[in-house]
Amino acid sequence: MTTTVGQTTQVYQVFIKASAEQIWDAITRPEWTARYFHGARITVTPEHYDSRSADGDVWGDSAVEVFDPPRKLVHGWRSLYDPELAAEDESRVTWEIDEEENGVCLLTVTHDRLEGAPKTAAGVSGTGWTGVISALKTLLETGAPLYR
Amino acid sequence: MVTYDHRVTDDDLVFKALADPTRRHLLDRLFERDGRTLTELESELEMTRFGVMKHLRVLEDAGLVVTRRQGREKLHFLNPVPIRLIHDRWIDKYAERRVSALSELKTRLEGRR
Repeated sequence: MTTTVGQTTQVYQVFIKASAEQIWDAITRPEWTARYFHGARITVTPEHYDSRSADGDVWGDSAVEVFDPPRKLVHGWRSLYDPELAAEDESRVTWEIDEEENGVCLLTVTHDRLEGAPKTAAGVSGTGWTGVISALKTLLETGAPLYR
Repeated sequence: MVTYDHRVTDDDLVFKALADPTRRHLLDRLFERDGRTLTELESELEMTRFGVMKHLRVLEDAGLVVTRRQGREKLHFLNPVPIRLIHDRWIDKYAERRVSALSELKTRLEGRR
């Protein structure tokens, strides 16, 4: 058994005081993602998930499985900025937005199918997804990026 | 007597959930291997099934554990986001101040202010 803590199914959940539409825009439009997702400019269309650095390097380029605004987005995940990660199997990320009362939404991010991507699994766990999701919440609730 | 009529914040639920060794132990077990059933978790604790369920419920209410149905089984996943939020809200804030106080002291001692 490996001691790596990267699980093959990872679930992240957070309440965000924002509308489902705002959250949807924040995860599918580059002008938003650049402010909380390690500077990545991510564009999601019904067919395609495209992530690029500020300089235009391709960081992610995967198919979109489910595109149901503003409720559910499912896309492939392969990190292309690192040759070792890029060589691993593609995994899958599911975003679910559930509208609760009082203008609050529950956002659930599930990263699974990580069996063939142990380095990716270890990389996105720990401070990986939690950092991105925490920064997304702060950005939507305060209008300011978490890290300056 | 002081009464608190405001809604209990999420932070309160998280701090309360973490203020118990059994619940921290459960989180550590899930950290090692996620997506476990109640039966699996119960087998590692000297506690009744009911007791484990009670602790899992507190963790779920605090958002630290998320459950998913898979066929007939209910799987428990660790959700680390609330801990991260507490880190960002509390730990970062005070650690940052201490660092900046130290760097100010260094600047003064070195006569570069």
